[in-house]
Amino acid sequence: MSGLSQFLALAGDGIKANRLLWLLIGGFAVFPIFTHFADLPFWNDVAMRIMLLGMAAMGLNLVLGYGGMVSFGHAAFIGIGAYCVGIGEFYGLTNGWAHILLGMIVCGLMGLIIGYLALRTSGIYFIMITLAFAQMLFFLFVSLEQFGGDDGMSIDRAEFGLIDLYDPLRLYFLIWVALALVGLGLMFIVRSRFGVTLRAIKSNESRIEAMGLEPLRFKITGYVISAVICGLAGVLFANWQEYVSPDIMHWTRSGELMIIIILGGLGTLAGPLLGAIVFLLLEESLPMLLGAVAPAYAENWMILFGPLLIMVVLFGRGGLVGLIATRNQSTSNQKRGKAGQ
Amino acid sequence: MSQPILNLLNLNKSFGAVKATSDLSLTVMPGEIHALIGPNGAGKTTLIQQIYGAQKQDSGQISLNGSEITALSVPDRVKAGIGRSFQISNVLMDFTVMENGIIAEQARLGQSFRFLRPAFSDRQLIRGGKAILERVGLEKRAEQRVGDLAHGERRMLELALALATSPSLLLLDEPMAGAGPEDSQRMADIIEGLRGTVAILLIEHDMDAVFRLADRLTVMVEGAVIAAGTAAEISANEAVKLAYLGGEE
Ligand SMILES: Nc1ncnc2c1ncn2[C@@H]1O[C@H](COP(=O)(O)OP(=O)(O)OP(=O)(O)O)[C@@H](O)[C@H]1O
Ligand SMILES: [Mg+2]
Repeated sequence: MSGLSQFLALAGDGIKANRLLWLLIGGFAVFPIFTHFADLPFWNDVAMRIMLLGMAAMGLNLVLGYGGMVSFGHAAFIGIGAYCVGIGEFYGLTNGWAHILLGMIVCGLMGLIIGYLALRTSGIYFIMITLAFAQMLFFLFVSLEQFGGDDGMSIDRAEFGLIDLYDPLRLYFLIWVALALVGLGLMFIVRSRFGVTLRAIKSNESRIEAMGLEPLRFKITGYVISAVICGLAGVLFANWQEYVSPDIMHWTRSGELMIIIILGGLGTLAGPLLGAIVFLLLEESLPMLLGAVAPAYAENWMILFGPLLIMVVLFGRGGLVGLIATRNQSTSNQKRGKAGQ
Repeated sequence: MSQPILNLLNLNKSFGAVKATSDLSLTVMPGEIHALIGPNGAGKTTLIQQIYGAQKQDSGQISLNGSEITALSVPDRVKAGIGRSFQISNVLMDFTVMENGIIAEQARLGQSFRFLRPAFSDRQLIRGGKAILERVGLEKRAEQRVGDLAHGERRMLELALALATSPSLLLLDEPMAGAGPEDSQRMADIIEGLRGTVAILLIEHDMDAVFRLADRLTVMVEGAVIAAGTAAEISANEAVKLAYLGGEE
């Protein structure tokens, strides 16, 4: 009883302190109303993709942004989660809850193994080892002919008890609930004793050792949590795509996740989600824009996106969230200044 | 006579051709301030690194409170009672002074592996963090970002963090280097105040501070001990005058 009310009070405090994150998540909750009345059902699909990549980026951000570990292989965990659905169904496991459980457990174990081995290194070596593990898994799934090899395998949306994912918006809100839970969980974690220790390790690992703590334990734990979140995103991704192939864990997707985080704001709760929104909207609109001006270049929308990303990184030190925060701060400073006069 | 806190026996460490520690033996007694002096490159920091566990000796023994600690990692040696400040100040730069205190407090309490309650607004941790800062008089600067502190204050914060684990042996690598005269004086006062409560191995180039603070001194040159004794004995020692003090006077 008092435990629950305490929890709610803590959650309330956290939500107040992270308005932007909950504004975005709330926005996704009401977005289908908009698409319904504007008659743009296609955009529900885009929104699901944004939520899925945003969720995965939020998971990666725990190690990349808060822990300072530049993992260049997190798409592998999305892939493992997705293949847990495909391979599960192949062997007759059609229950979606079981897929989620399986995907999260397998990703947790893989995260533990990869983290344990890779986190003994740091800097460029860590980047390369995480990339190497991801490539290994990529080629493993390419070579598994019974699961479609590089053609992949098609997937039926899983059975979630009373929820039929083929009914309209059921999948949308399943993804939304997962996103909200991930947001809530991460909100608690980054402010907790564990979370501040992880941030302190990023700031100065040797001082944490000097406090008698073993940094590796915290880093591995963070790595496992982030792998589990990406695994959850992967399971839902497979249901959304109704198809899984090794492409889902191509190294360019790991890079995409990093771009999303840096664009949105490294080490912020709202950053990865905001980054995913902007990144995927640009991915939708830039080719059209470019297509209208120079049709031959429509495929190469990155030509425009690249300079944009560089500008955000150069001028908004903390990504888009940083830009928003500095603006708010300067306006509130102005107000305070006026009040003082 | 009571048992030494720290006992180094025939320690050796080489970097290629450079002998950084040469057959070195040394004891630090409970509660004493033991100064380690010697010219630049004598191997003082390297010695501390080996005691602390960040570098491994090539041969020889290190015992803390009578038990051999060579196999222990840095965090385990900290838990066994070693605290340290570094030659280049080593604090959590991206945090406020109070947050540094809080992170040290939760580590001290063994609570760093908790996932639910926010740390920085926890009353118990704030109280403990404040107590950690008060030991060096930094509580007035609690809300400052560490990056905005004066150099001397950062050194003070680092000492506070080192003291937070209640060490029985404190390794201080030039705690006054780079601090202004006022902060140096404050630092010396704080170290003086610790005498008798914790054994201190103090590396310091400021000879006035060393002679004021040290119960005993060990003089190192090229990795080896050339003299050890009280301040009076050392200042009268001909070999030391020649090798080290002579150059300054
Ligand atoms: N990691 C290392 N690799 C190679 N040589 C090293 C290393 N660390 C120290 N040395 C060498 O070992 C010797 C002792 O260095 P150390 O830093 O211990 O001296 P120090 O007495 O602390 O000097 P200072 O007073 O300048 O701080 C020096 O010759 C130094 O160049
Ligand atoms: Mg030194």
